[in-house]
Amino acid sequence: MKILNHFIPTEILHTLGFVFGLIMLCLSVFYFINKKRSTKFTRELFLRTRSWAFLAAGIATVVVSPKIIGTLIIAYVSFAAFREMASISGFRTADRNALFAAYCSIPIQYLLIYHNMSALYFAFIPVIMFTVLPFFLIAKGDTKGIGKSMALIPAILMMCVFMISHLAMLFGIEESTLPAGPGGLILFLVALTALNDVFQYIWGKLLGRKKIIPAISPNKTRAGFIGGVLSTGAIAAALNFLTPLSLQEAVLTGFAIGIAGFAGDILISAIKRDLNLKDTDDVIPGHGGIMDRMDSLVLTAPVFYYLLTYFLSVEVEIIQKAEFAMAEVLTQVHYKYNLVW
Amino acid sequence: MVNKIVQILYGIFIKPFLSIVIGVRYENKQVLKAKEQYIIVANHNSHLDALSIISALPGSKLANTFTVAAVDYFGRNSLFRKVVRFFFNAIFIKRNRQVGDPSAIEQLDAYLKNGKSLILFPEGSRGKPGVLSDFKKGIAVLLKRNPNIHFIPAHLNGFGRVMPKDSNLVLPMLSKVRFGNPIKVGAQKMEDILSIVKDSILKLKPIGEKNLNKF
Repeated sequence: MKILNHFIPTEILHTLGFVFGLIMLCLSVFYFINKKRSTKFTRELFLRTRSWAFLAAGIATVVVSPKIIGTLIIAYVSFAAFREMASISGFRTADRNALFAAYCSIPIQYLLIYHNMSALYFAFIPVIMFTVLPFFLIAKGDTKGIGKSMALIPAILMMCVFMISHLAMLFGIEESTLPAGPGGLILFLVALTALNDVFQYIWGKLLGRKKIIPAISPNKTRAGFIGGVLSTGAIAAALNFLTPLSLQEAVLTGFAIGIAGFAGDILISAIKRDLNLKDTDDVIPGHGGIMDRMDSLVLTAPVFYYLLTYFLSVEVEIIQKAEFAMAEVLTQVHYKYNLVW
Repeated sequence: MVNKIVQILYGIFIKPFLSIVIGVRYENKQVLKAKEQYIIVANHNSHLDALSIISALPGSKLANTFTVAAVDYFGRNSLFRKVVRFFFNAIFIKRNRQVGDPSAIEQLDAYLKNGKSLILFPEGSRGKPGVLSDFKKGIAVLLKRNPNIHFIPAHLNGFGRVMPKDSNLVLPMLSKVRFGNPIKVGAQKMEDILSIVKDSILKLKPIGEKNLNKF
């Protein structure tokens, strides 16, 4: 399909259609269950699914959009996530300048990504902002509690901006190597991350007995984790038509996303525990805040990005080697038979 | 004409800025539509307080709602004064009245008698960060003199972090503006009216929520 010169691959349209069909089906089922016998659980389930429909609409917009709109949306989500974490983390008055500088770094990071300056966007937050931010705190001269702020502001910036920005970096991958464009990659990653959460929850409810880390997240069980990772691998194989990966590579990526999703989940859980919060915010009904929903994506996005670039570069290397070997054979043949081009 | 311009500016710049960039969320905003005339009474921590309350008003009521401002701060020079009057519909009153000055109460009472609505911060100034200081008597006098006018309590949580008293830096931070249902006070004692107003504002904040007006 083509809208205003922007091409949307058929694979993406089919997947989106399937996803929306599924959500609408679940939504209507939960709606009627909730209407018939309303309990706290059914209402929660309905609200959650309804929010999923809106979230899916947002993700679909990113997936079908051209680079500039997709990058803008991801940048805003980054900003909102950062704002949420900054609001709950308990900063000091003396941290305001540093926080403002951190806010200013968000558009810069996405501008660098939009212009494909890869050396800069990989260094900007981890190197430049990490060096600069403490000096905003030092300039204020208030040293009481400065250590916490020095650690916390860069850490939040890392989670909410640098990690999430790997989604936007997917737009920069050479399009000719991708079967469904960069949108396909984002859809693959976000769908796997979301389904991983869902499957870890379902397997945990069905079979979960032994808890992994009850001190941080009492709902995480061993069976849930293993079942989730295996299911995610299977879904990765099914959705592989969105990526340029081979089947084994896709399954491996699925497993990695499953593990990273779990890790991201408990990472944010631990922070919430420390702050005595159940949710980071209440902006998404049934889910909580933006970081409650994006917790897994914080780690799955970079894991997916680096695995993908690794597999792609290996592929390129293999092709180059093959071409090189072919050229060698040809020259030998030419030499033997004295052929002239 | 000027009213239309202010309405448009609020609609396309200030409201989206507050909700999209700063992260202001409103609760129970619809009470502002219900009554024709009211006095909005709120706690005060930041310059953005008045801006965010005005942003909650339906566009048609912008021209009819006036914000009470202290002339010694907002009337410093004529340009500042004009800007404040343009955006906030400000009524300038004197905090430290000398003999012969018009009474602030008379001034505001005249507006109420003309059917205008008011936005009032009874704390008088932004005070200490995050602390609800004692209310000035003025609000009680006004309500006593106009027993038919409702007051709408508003609780603002978060603006003390967005833009605290001694800073000009606006920092995006999630904030809440909660409106209570309109309340009418009968002929009661002044102290009773004051405590009713104060309690109705404090009651709007959910018990578990932190005080977000200070760091």
